[in-house]
Amino acid sequence: MTTIPQPLAGIRVQRQTGSGIVAMVLFVLALAALALMPLWASQGFIRDMVELCCYIAIAQMWNLLAGYGGIVSVGQQMFVGTGAYFMFIMAQLWGLNPFIAVVLCVVAPMVLAVPTYGLLHRLEGAYFAIGTWVIAEVVRLATSIFPYVNAGSGMSLRVMGDYSADQRAVGVSILCALLILVSIGGSYWLLRSRYGLALTAMRDNPVAAASQGVNVNKLRFLIWIAAAAGTGFAGAVYFMAQLRINPPSAYDANWGNIAIFIVMVGGLGSIEGVLIGAFIYFFADRWFGEYGASYLIVLGLATLFMALFAKGGLWGLICKMVDAPWFPTRRRLMGGTK
Amino acid sequence: MLWIDGLIQGILLGGLYAQYALGMALMFGVMKIVNITHGDLMVLLALTGISAATTWAIGPWAILVLLVVVGAFLGWALQRTILNRVVSADPLPSLIATFGLSVAMQNLMLTIWSADTRSLPGGGIEQASFQVGPLFIGVLPVIVLIAATLLTGGLDAVLRFTRFGRALRASSADVEAAALTGVNPRSVYAGATAVAVGILGFAAVFQSLRSTVAPSDGPFQLIYAFEAVIIGGMGSIWGAFLGAMVLGISQSIGFRIDPGFGILAGHLVFLLVLAIRPQGILGRE
Repeated sequence: MTTIPQPLAGIRVQRQTGSGIVAMVLFVLALAALALMPLWASQGFIRDMVELCCYIAIAQMWNLLAGYGGIVSVGQQMFVGTGAYFMFIMAQLWGLNPFIAVVLCVVAPMVLAVPTYGLLHRLEGAYFAIGTWVIAEVVRLATSIFPYVNAGSGMSLRVMGDYSADQRAVGVSILCALLILVSIGGSYWLLRSRYGLALTAMRDNPVAAASQGVNVNKLRFLIWIAAAAGTGFAGAVYFMAQLRINPPSAYDANWGNIAIFIVMVGGLGSIEGVLIGAFIYFFADRWFGEYGASYLIVLGLATLFMALFAKGGLWGLICKMVDAPWFPTRRRLMGGTK
Repeated sequence: MLWIDGLIQGILLGGLYAQYALGMALMFGVMKIVNITHGDLMVLLALTGISAATTWAIGPWAILVLLVVVGAFLGWALQRTILNRVVSADPLPSLIATFGLSVAMQNLMLTIWSADTRSLPGGGIEQASFQVGPLFIGVLPVIVLIAATLLTGGLDAVLRFTRFGRALRASSADVEAAALTGVNPRSVYAGATAVAVGILGFAAVFQSLRSTVAPSDGPFQLIYAFEAVIIGGMGSIWGAFLGAMVLGISQSIGFRIDPGFGILAGHLVFLLVLAIRPQGILGRE
């Protein structure tokens, strides 16, 4: 007969660390600073922050897919574009308040994500990825010949002229904070929930996770939809700040490149990695962007190098030296005696 | 007559797509990886060929021989230096590695050759055509289609009847069992990639004779190759050929409906096949 072990006294599951609490406080402060940008920052700085926040959000959504869901997509630009375009349609053509439209517009990428997944999930891993690219191309080409959204020449968000520059700055700053709250805060919350356990199990081994009762297919589908919504939201915020949209910029394959670079250099499968990668990309783009093609050669080779030799990215290398997670998602058994 | 012309032009266009698709079908069949630089390698070969033709004043057929040799070497080197490190059941490493390489290659080519579109002078062959009833058919597209058919038949025969082909098929069925029987998977993989990129040497010459190439064209060729492989049925060599025909015909008919609809028509047929026959035309359940 086997004995059922009694619950041991003094044993507890530790889920938070000192570094995690410090990081949490800093995160909340950063969110507040973002939302209050009009009080302390210049217009140029706010524009830069919009860009950075969009990179972080889009990269984190790709990280959820590739780092946890085991789904590789190279067509995330389809969600950037549909989210942004739907916001333009609602605000410019239907006369909705643009600041409400920017939140509501996540419906469009979610709706697009359902048939996309339905078609592509039949393809094996690597072919799924190219399939997403084809669909992104289809959406781009279809938008380019769709007269309702002014086809290839694109649209301007003229309704934003109803708001003063200060009002726009307030709105955009709050949207930035919301974007980071939803993408980073939301991912953190998700990874610490029951689903987070399932996702982490799936990341490490989908077959073993399935044998433990994780519904891998359903979870993948839900992650795909959630990532579509988050990516679309980021796209809408980005193009709201741009005030103009056209198919080549909305469905630019570079959105996918940026997400992949940020996640692979920063660290696949960790929120910290996305933040590190996004900052590196943002500053590299500012400092070396003027070198154009040669800068992109370095970017491409860096991605290649990371895929070959350091799959955990920079955050993975940091973790080998110091164990101080900013967003701890591990559950650790503490205390008790043998 | 417009539609018959569309159909014939589509089949001829399919001949070119088949040359992109063969290598991809071979690599995916053997290694289960997708090489995202597939299209960029074709563009690199084409631009190299164009530069060689103008520098040394040599004709297109000499360029063809040169590019097939260079392509086979490039494929072998790519496999040895990069792809052998990332071949695994997990699709992520190979996708990301070749994705990064693709971005680097496109921008390297942009630095060397600038964004201009270029083409290979063919000494008149690119304009030659003959008349069948009321239709005019280009000589070059017919040569392309014949070359594609011979390449497909040849590759199929190599896979069926040679020692190398048996090793390839064994590795694609079960790489560990193949290794037990004395096949060295790494050499087999390097051979497969060399063949795949060597075939792109043909595609590079014909593409740059028929129309133009520019450094940023690669991703589109990759997508066409991919669509042809999926439409035809994964892992099947003749399937890739058939898929290329279907894709070529769809685009050609689409262009005749509306010039803005051609490429989109090809994509839509691909999605339709994925919806109603996901295993492809020749694929088995």
